[in-house]
Parts: sequence; C-alpha cells; structure tokens
Amino acid sequence: MEQKDIYILGIESSCDETAASVVKNGRDVLSNIISSQISIHRKYGGVVPEIASRKHIEHIMPVIDAALEDAKVTLNRIDGVAVTYGPGLVGALLVGLSAAKALAWATGKPLLGVNHLEGHVFANFINDKNLEPPFLALVVSGGHTALLKVTGYNSFEMLGQTRDDAAGEAFDKIARVMGLPYPGGPEIEKLALEGNPKAIDFPRAMLDDPFQFSFSGMKSSVINYLHNEEQARRPVNRADVAASFQEAVTDVLVQKSVLAVKATGLKEIVLAGGVSANKTLQNKLAAAAKKAGARLVHPTKILCTDNAVMIACRGYYMYQAGVISPWDLNAVPALKLGYKSSGE
Amino acid sequence: MLTLALDTATRVCTVGLVQDGHVLAEYDISVGLTHSEGLMPQLDQMFARTGIKKENTDRIAVSIGPGSFTGLRIGLAAAEAMAYAWQCGICGVNTLEAMAYNIPVEGVVLVPVLDAQKGNFYAAFYEWTDGELRKVRPVEMADRETLLQQLQACGKPVLLMGECEKLMKKELPDGISVAPEQVRLPKASSVALAAEDTEPLTGEDVFTLRPYYIRKSEAEELWEKRHPQG
Ligand SMILES: [Zn+2]
Repeated sequence: MEQKDIYILGIESSCDETAASVVKNGRDVLSNIISSQISIHRKYGGVVPEIASRKHIEHIMPVIDAALEDAKVTLNRIDGVAVTYGPGLVGALLVGLSAAKALAWATGKPLLGVNHLEGHVFANFINDKNLEPPFLALVVSGGHTALLKVTGYNSFEMLGQTRDDAAGEAFDKIARVMGLPYPGGPEIEKLALEGNPKAIDFPRAMLDDPFQFSFSGMKSSVINYLHNEEQARRPVNRADVAASFQEAVTDVLVQKSVLAVKATGLKEIVLAGGVSANKTLQNKLAAAAKKAGARLVHPTKILCTDNAVMIACRGYYMYQAGVISPWDLNAVPALKLGYKSSGE
Repeated sequence: MLTLALDTATRVCTVGLVQDGHVLAEYDISVGLTHSEGLMPQLDQMFARTGIKKENTDRIAVSIGPGSFTGLRIGLAAAEAMAYAWQCGICGVNTLEAMAYNIPVEGVVLVPVLDAQKGNFYAAFYEWTDGELRKVRPVEMADRETLLQQLQACGKPVLLMGECEKLMKKELPDGISVAPEQVRLPKASSVALAAEDTEPLTGEDVFTLRPYYIRKSEAEELWEKRHPQG
C-alpha cells in the first residue's frame, strides 16, 4: 500500500533566530527560512531578550509565509505544526508558540510541541538519511552540554551533563573577556586557527562521574591567565590562548564521548547544538570515534545553528507516534533534556 | 459581518464574537493564568459553545497596546496567524480606546489607565459626544499626583478605568471615581465595536501590524543614553 506523504511545518523562535521550514516525511527539506537577529544584538554584546521578542513578532508570519511559499505547499496541505516550546528565552518562545498554536487551531491541524535540544539532535536525521536509533548524541550549545542515548525516535536517556557552565557558555565568556564580538564561539575558533593549541596547558576537569562535565574551572583558569599576564605586563599571544582553550574544551568533550561509546557499545555518535559547527571538535571527535570503532554524524553548518528544519523533523516523529500537544501548551524556558517522551 | 475580537494586554484574557454590532459571545478570564495557556482553549470553547464555524470569521479585531509587552505579542501573534489561516482582515485597536467603549455614556471623561510601575501610570482621556468617541488627551505617562491634577483640571466628572488599584489605595479627590468592576477592564466586545469603523489590513499587510509599546526596550534606552551620537 502506498503511504501518504506527510508535510510538517516547523517554527522556531527560542533565541535570536526567527525560523520556519517545511519538511516532507521527516527527512526531506522543502524549505528552510531563517531571519537572524545577530547583527541587531551585536552592539549589546549578547542577546537582549526584549529586543529579540520585538523582532520575532515582526518576522514570525512573513517567515512562515516564505517557508510555505518556498516549499510550494499550501497551509491546508500541512499535516501538523511543530514548534519549539523550550528551552529558550520565554518572551521569544511565546511569539513562535502563539503563532503556531493559532495556525494549527485555525486550520484544525495537530500541534506538536518540540524540545529545542531534541530538535538539535534530530538535525542529524536530515544530514544522514540512513541514521536510525539507537545512537549516542553529544549536545553542545550555549546553554547545554550533555551526553545522551537516543534509544528510539521518542525515547532518550541522559548519560550525563554539565554541573556548571555549558561548553558554549565558556566559549562566549572567554570571547567577551578577550574583547571579541558576539557571538563569541565562531570568533574564538577563527582566532585559534593561527595559534598553537599546546602553548598553554589549561586544566581539563574529568570528574569522577565519567559522563558529567564541568567547564567553570577551565574558564576561570583562562581568565586568570589573561589577568596575570596583564599584571606582569607580558604580551599575550591571543591566538595561542584561543587555540589552547579550544583544545582543552574539545579534549574533554571527545574523551567523554569515547568513554560513552565504549560503555554503551553503540556504533554511532551524533553532534548536536550550536557548538557542533566547530571544525576542531568535528575533526577530533570523528578521528577518536573511528579509533573506538564508531562513526561520527554531524549536521551541516546551516543545521548546526538554530533552525526550524530540525523542529519539523522532530515534530514528524512525534506526529507518527501520536504525541500531540494540547492547546494550553505553555513555553518552558528551562525545559530539560533526556526524559522519556510520552510517545512510544 | 462576523468579528472575532481578543485582548491580552492586561491580566484579563478576553475573547468575543460580534456580528454587525451585536455581541454574540464574550468570554473573560481574570484568574492569573498566563494568556499563553488560556487564549487558545478560550477561543476553542467559545466557538464550540456558540456553534459558529471559526472559518466564517470575516475579520479579527485585536488590542495592540499599550499593555504588557508579552501579553500584546501573544495576542498579536495569534491574531495574525488566524487572519493568515482564514485569509481575513485584521484591525489593530488601541487598548485604552477600546476600554472607553465599555462605557458609551456622555457627560463624563473616561480615563483608562495602565500601571507603568515605579508609581507611574499611562493614561488617555476620552469623552463620548453625539455617539462618537473623542480623544481629549493622548496617552501620556504621569505619576499619581500629576495625573490627579490633570483630571481635576477637566472640570467634568471623571471615571477611572483599567489598572487603577494603586490609584485607589489613597482616597480620590471629589469628582473622580472608579468605574464599576464589571466594566473597568478590557472587554473583547468593546475591541470589536471599536474596530467597526476601521478599514482592516488584508493580504500581506496583515504582517505590518505592530504592538503599540509606547516605550523602547530598556536596553535600547540605556544604549542611547550612553551613545548620544548614535
Ligand atoms: Zn539551539
């Protein structure tokens, strides 16, 4: 029997990108519209929540309209509306969520409330059409650092996460201390290209729990180093600092991922979240995974940053499992990762 | 013409259906639930109870501010999405002006206020004459004392509306009273009636509607103070 094609409209507004996308059958991207606010927030040195919310309300409907038009799919042909309901900035989330709920309700379609972090993991299904659970996921973003077992399309098991700062948060803070523009992660990566990663030996916190992370000590030691050199009036090789810091962060991420591969026996590991765009991390993890007998999957650059393709993809698997959200779904700014979803 | 109206600018979440000036339904909730949770169920229940097909909506009237920034965006995002889905027109209505439609009586100056925090209030003055609503004074921010002086200078009886709890804490001067509670806060039916004579935005113009914030964001205000050259 021939199966009917399923079209999911994805909507994302959790931080500083207003995005919408149409994805067919979970993995076929028909459109990917992103309206970025990065240039607007740069002069403030970071995302200003109220300004982000004001930009989202201006862009949300034009972005949705463009996503449908690009996909050449009418709103009526859409089978479900997927939307990020957390984690993120509450005011920003509420714009996309309110629009999504009203669109779904007005057209009688199911609403699919998506965990943004699960979305990042699902971006990998777009890049690797053959990827299927179970696999490991390393989630690295500005707000999260976690190792996750993806046991099914709607079931996840947390192996460990950060006790303090997220890896991306450490990147952003070091970038700010070094006077690099927002967003700091890509700036550190750029600067590190010209530096020696072995120049300075920043501490790597490995912790007793093999799958937990801690980056606050490392962050402080970089800040102390910069401070001490300044006090002693010694010239600082900024590229060396960036390269050595990046080396320390990626060392920890790679080592713990390899431990997880060995402990679970899983043969695939996917990278997810904003920091997954970091080439050094991708290359080191790919090499280490190979050595441990596993394979690394990571999203293309456009799908590493926030987008609505990953939300539509996640929504598709919720739709298939019948995990439908109620009309009173609220934004959950501190939504967690790794709890078993209600589906399956 | 069937108008679906909504107002989420204050703590009240109110939705209503008005057909050619007749109020068919109105559903107000003011128990502190967030509008994000309440708005869609309220709309859903209202349409179910009236038996009216939601797709038959001819236009949407939405209160666009002033009011709670987050509340305004919840209402506007939903209104724009519905207008887009049903391909109908949309009218943005000033929240304070819509409140003045709660009490269409002559001989009093109607003053809807919003709590602007730190002892300040946003207030506009309205008066009904010959069945027409006239704006006597545009939206301005003032502290209690300044506002009360302005009210007394009206030379007419004044009815305060909106978020006036903090104004009521101390006794009000003669001639200034507070509207009865059932007509004091936003009502969707009034939003619909206030929109009756406005030309709705249609097509892609629906997306041009913006909340009426009055103020820039704090971050912008601070930045401008520190960088006076821009
Ligand atoms: Zn993200």
